[in-house]
Amino acid sequence: MRKLMTGNSAVSHGVVLSRAQVISAYPITPQTTIVEELSEMCADGRLPAKFIRVESEHSAMACVAAAAATGARVFTATSSHGLAYMHEMLHWVSGTRLPVVMVNANRAIGAPWSIWCDQGDSLSQRDTGWLQLYCQSAQEALDTVIQAYRIAEEILLPVMVLVDGFFLSHTSEPVDIPDQEAVDRFLPPFHPRYKLTPDDPHTFNIMADTSLFISFRHEAQIAMETAKKLAARVDREFKSQFGRGYGLMEKFRCTDAEVVLLTMGTAAGTAREVIDQYRRQGKKVGLCRLRLFRPFPAEALIKTLSGMKKVAVLDRDNSLGAGGIVGQELKAALFRAPRKPKVFEFIAGLGGKDITPETIQKIMETTLHNANPNGAPIWLGVEA
Amino acid sequence: MKKKKQVKKRPFLPPMSFSYEGSQASKTGTWRYLTPAYLNKLAPCNESCPAGEDVEAAMVLAGQEDYLGAWEKITQENPLPRVCGRVCFHPCEAACNRKEFDEATSINALERFVGDQAFQSGKRPPPPQEKKREKVAIIGSGPAGLSCAYHLSSLGYGVTLFEAQPKLGGVLRYGIPSYRLPKDILDQEIDNILSLGVEAKTGVRVGKDVRWAELKNFDAVFVAAGAWKSLPLKVPGEDAKGVMSGLEFLQRVNSGQPVDPGQRVAIIGGGNTAMDAARSALRLGAKPLIIYRRTREEMPAWEEEVSETGEESIEFIFLSSPVKIVTENGKVKGVECIKNLLGPIGKDGRREPRPIEGSNFTLPVDAVISAIGETPDFSFLPEELRQYTGSLPVDETGATGVKGVFAGGDIIAQPRTVAYAIGSGKKAAMAVDATLRGKNAVEGLRSARWGEKGSLSMARYKKGGTDGIAPEVIPFSALNTAYFKRQVRKRKEKLPLSRRTSGFSEVNLGLSPDSALYEAKRCFNCGVCNLCHNCFIYCPDLAISARPDKQGYDINYDYCKGCCICVEECPRGAISVEVKK
Repeated sequence: MRKLMTGNSAVSHGVVLSRAQVISAYPITPQTTIVEELSEMCADGRLPAKFIRVESEHSAMACVAAAAATGARVFTATSSHGLAYMHEMLHWVSGTRLPVVMVNANRAIGAPWSIWCDQGDSLSQRDTGWLQLYCQSAQEALDTVIQAYRIAEEILLPVMVLVDGFFLSHTSEPVDIPDQEAVDRFLPPFHPRYKLTPDDPHTFNIMADTSLFISFRHEAQIAMETAKKLAARVDREFKSQFGRGYGLMEKFRCTDAEVVLLTMGTAAGTAREVIDQYRRQGKKVGLCRLRLFRPFPAEALIKTLSGMKKVAVLDRDNSLGAGGIVGQELKAALFRAPRKPKVFEFIAGLGGKDITPETIQKIMETTLHNANPNGAPIWLGVEA
Repeated sequence: MKKKKQVKKRPFLPPMSFSYEGSQASKTGTWRYLTPAYLNKLAPCNESCPAGEDVEAAMVLAGQEDYLGAWEKITQENPLPRVCGRVCFHPCEAACNRKEFDEATSINALERFVGDQAFQSGKRPPPPQEKKREKVAIIGSGPAGLSCAYHLSSLGYGVTLFEAQPKLGGVLRYGIPSYRLPKDILDQEIDNILSLGVEAKTGVRVGKDVRWAELKNFDAVFVAAGAWKSLPLKVPGEDAKGVMSGLEFLQRVNSGQPVDPGQRVAIIGGGNTAMDAARSALRLGAKPLIIYRRTREEMPAWEEEVSETGEESIEFIFLSSPVKIVTENGKVKGVECIKNLLGPIGKDGRREPRPIEGSNFTLPVDAVISAIGETPDFSFLPEELRQYTGSLPVDETGATGVKGVFAGGDIIAQPRTVAYAIGSGKKAAMAVDATLRGKNAVEGLRSARWGEKGSLSMARYKKGGTDGIAPEVIPFSALNTAYFKRQVRKRKEKLPLSRRTSGFSEVNLGLSPDSALYEAKRCFNCGVCNLCHNCFIYCPDLAISARPDKQGYDINYDYCKGCCICVEECPRGAISVEVKK
């Protein structure tokens, strides 16, 4: 069934189709409508899930963590400050290897106060042991939620699905809603091997002594590495069943490209138009939209980019004192590459600043007309 | 290939750190330095009930729809819940913690409901478990005498009630009109008391039909003859035909004797007797007029009685005192009054009326009922006790100066209410029992005390005070009101005004079963565990479990870390913290 719906509504439909059993969330702009719709569906019986109201995001994550530990399929959603408030629990959830799925509507973290989009909130949680999948469309958001449960429950790691605040969360697009029966085939019920049950009492997260802690971390790292292949496989299976796939990254006109723009989220939609313009001018340019940020698909990126001359990285975030986070990760990955493209880094669109075709053009012009990057990332859209 | 082998050789680890055993293996109780413990506290309603009812326990049971259980709790202390549920001035509600939150619980109306339910189920008090050889004489069968008779016969004593009137009940029968307390209800509760083996000698006036000396055969005497002598108006014309005292008037009305209040009747006074007389006169077809020397503010009658009197359109004339009864041929023709101003506050804490010279006015009336106060009659008492005026002095156990003679009710100095009378009858029963059993009566009464207001519990007395209830009253501040929602108090339903004054039908109709349960559940159950389960739900160590008998909870101190969340989350303060020694 095709329906016009916002990104947030698409997320809610994805959660319903995934048959989440326990939902706990605290409302925060621009995530609120996800929680509203889910709570309504829980209240009127469309979604037979337990909805737990909480006083904070920290508690929301604690609730879904506990529910997941008993073997329930769980969901939560947040944004920005809410995600920051969850920070401690993000570590506990991944350390407990709980397959929690969360949607974060990307929003800048204050100060100054802002409710608008950038990706600094989720990228600053990159070390918490969660997978991160960045979406570009409402359809992709719905599909990715379903995929996220498959990935999370197979590898026992939590998955964060990212939608750009307002640009995606609040923009309506036609969305194809898959049949429940088809989703059920793709996503069978969750039966964890380890769970909390009164019938067989155990304690999760007991103290690991100094000889063991590092081993648990190592196990999680191996799981993260494995998750790259798993995410790719799940996406392929999804495509074969539903006809839609996104890959770990979406490559647009990259085959013979010499200069490639790398970015995440909705900015890629704008960039596609600009790339087409350059192509019409005969410029060999392409676009690579990174979908899986954690685990960072270094091998796949090396494979895609090592033949290119230049890569322009557009970061909708900034690690203060370092630079764009995607740019840093890419540079670190390319260090291992046999042939390294030159990496031009750009920071734009923070705190909801529009990334317009002109912004993309400026990035492409700078990259095309300079032989080498000028050291530090270039900030676009800075007033005066 | 080599790398793959290495991965396979890794020793097995579960994905998360995961214990082999359940959390029971970790005895977290060793971490504890604070120890929570269930400790029921005294509820303010219990402390403030002059009859010493275990209101709290009754409310818990009523909230579980166990009305017969509630009745048993009440009647352990007070044999007259149907009476008190109708006529008590309910100081329990004035002390109710809930009034700090929204409105007090309708305890009084619930008492009536519980009493009526027990009656409909044919509930009777249990017969005495033992028979003692001692016999006690009780003079007067009002609430004090009935209460004393009930408790003493329950304890196994032989009890003989001496009542000057033809029927038992004293002020309950001859003072309180049946629109407030229907006679059949009184009869039924008296019958319950008599069923315990109490011997009643009615129509026998001690000092006249039986000499005081003849009471020597009894091991103890309880004097509860009430206060039946009306104070005189001390104005000219008081002896005229058509002037009568309030009590005399009520006595005649309540015993069905013919009485003519005339067309226009003036009632002098502002107490409950005045209200009862005026409302009874109205029901007999007269047009009553209440004359009171102060203002409505200072009236000693209870607010509910005053407002019901007003509802019945009975006229009040305030700030006026009679100076003369105007007569013609020895019959009342009018009452001459003088206007008052209120002066400074007098000895009793109320402003003193001061007559305004020359402000006299005369009201044409054909009857006058004086209800300015009553005083006890000591003429039947032995000489040692006859010397007093106003009230009979007693010590803290209710004992008079004569050995073996105790007194209570309106004859002693205490507020003249049914509940106080019932309490004093119970106190005397305890004191008589302790004395006759050779125990220290003062100690015995102390063990029965509920709080600091003189409330005494027979259940506590029987257990020697070891009922596990902490002595301190639980204040509103000790409750966790987050667990309560604001709820409108249900009031007693009343007979429509149009149907009230044509006869003596009961005005208050009590609570419907739905309202009664609603009110019982509204009760905070201050300080007392009502099995709400909150502690069980909150305990993070699952150290709290319901007791096998489901009458409370146990704390497993092997696992209780002493976080005391249970103490904090108990809505009613029934869990206390003690520091680990």
